[in-house]
Amino acid sequence: MLLLPLLLAIEFGESDADLVRRLQRRDPRAMAELYDRYGRLVYTLILRVVRDGGIAEDLVQETFLRVWNRVQGFDADRGGLGPWLLAVARNRAIDYLRSAAGRMRNAVELPETDHPALFADMEKELLNSDRVRRVRIALEKLSENQRAVIELAYFEGLSQAEMADRMHQPLGTVKTWVRTALKSLRDELGTAVPA
Amino acid sequence: MTCDELRDSYEIYALGIADEPESSEIRAHLDRDCPTCVPGVRGARELTTLIGAVAPLAEPPARLRKRVLAIAGGQKSSLWNWSPVWAAVAAGALIAAIVFNTRAQRASAELAQASAELQRVQSESAAQTRELARLNEAFAILNQPDAKQVVFGGGAPQPPRGRVFLDPTRGVLLVASNLPPAPAGKIYEMWVIPKGGKPVPAGLFQSAADGTALHVLTGPVDVAGTAAVAVTVEVAAGATVPNLPPVFAAAL
Repeated sequence: MLLLPLLLAIEFGESDADLVRRLQRRDPRAMAELYDRYGRLVYTLILRVVRDGGIAEDLVQETFLRVWNRVQGFDADRGGLGPWLLAVARNRAIDYLRSAAGRMRNAVELPETDHPALFADMEKELLNSDRVRRVRIALEKLSENQRAVIELAYFEGLSQAEMADRMHQPLGTVKTWVRTALKSLRDELGTAVPA
Repeated sequence: MTCDELRDSYEIYALGIADEPESSEIRAHLDRDCPTCVPGVRGARELTTLIGAVAPLAEPPARLRKRVLAIAGGQKSSLWNWSPVWAAVAAGALIAAIVFNTRAQRASAELAQASAELQRVQSESAAQTRELARLNEAFAILNQPDAKQVVFGGGAPQPPRGRVFLDPTRGVLLVASNLPPAPAGKIYEMWVIPKGGKPVPAGLFQSAADGTALHVLTGPVDVAGTAAVAVTVEVAAGATVPNLPPVFAAAL
């Protein structure tokens, strides 16, 4: 139900590529549309990582500021805006988490603008509840340990070595869980790796 | 490494946790627009992006929209909204580029440097804003007439000591001293322990070099139903259940 306004915005609004071009022209209304389209997703993701509403608000603002400052270098014809925005949001949140914990910043390597072609144009899929539901079901099918490593990697930015330390498991075991989990998700979602 | 050898590492790379040499190898393939690895990593990133979208949607406060829109409103013309210092730097570089045409590339580099510096200043400003917001939350709890106050560590010279304030609508404020910074790779985690229930994570914090600490958990708290507020040392990313005995606990 919460997704309905987002879906309507996507179905009847302009494309992400048009929105990027307006952002590059420094159109303030484009920023409003960007926030209305993805703000809730960005806030949800950051809140899931930092688990503090006040900090999440600050990091959402930082995320949109970063996108606003860097959008000139984003090639809308080669990459999707939503996935890029979420990648920036995840980077900000995990960077904060690492900083707050005294861990090395930028340990998670997520290219943000250097390869725009890596951010598939998937605005409808991103906001498509059926697609998201399939991911959720696929995650639930994983074993507890497999799901744990995916969540630790995605939402807490832990390296495989840090996960092994946290879970008191050999590194090799953790690596096997990560690979098996990702393969299962890929198979469930039919995300084909090109032959 | 060949694309075939890298294929199984696309998702791990997209998650940001690929080891070497796979990480560098994939990056090198991407840098040369490898026709196999670019779509491969794009598909992997699609998968990992969807993982981020599975959390139940949370509703951001209405004020957040205004804060975000202020970014664009405040930078309608980015040059004129820079601080005078940076505007002067930019203007100087611009004039240099026009007058000394052959030095245009150098002027461009200076502009980029100025822009990077501006971004650093903005980042510092955001951090200060965050700290100010945290202090405001702390004062808000302190100002609540109904806030319950608990003293811990009193009478003992060395152990951590301080006060915990709990307000049913504002949250929990912890003020501590004699609390040395947690060791490298570790962090302090606060727990709210309900009567007859399991400890609930209440946020991560680090103490200052002088042993003082201030931590705020914002949001409603069931003060009457709370038995204690405790702090443990946990691994750097925090934990969902306490793994060590508390460093201190404030019983209500």
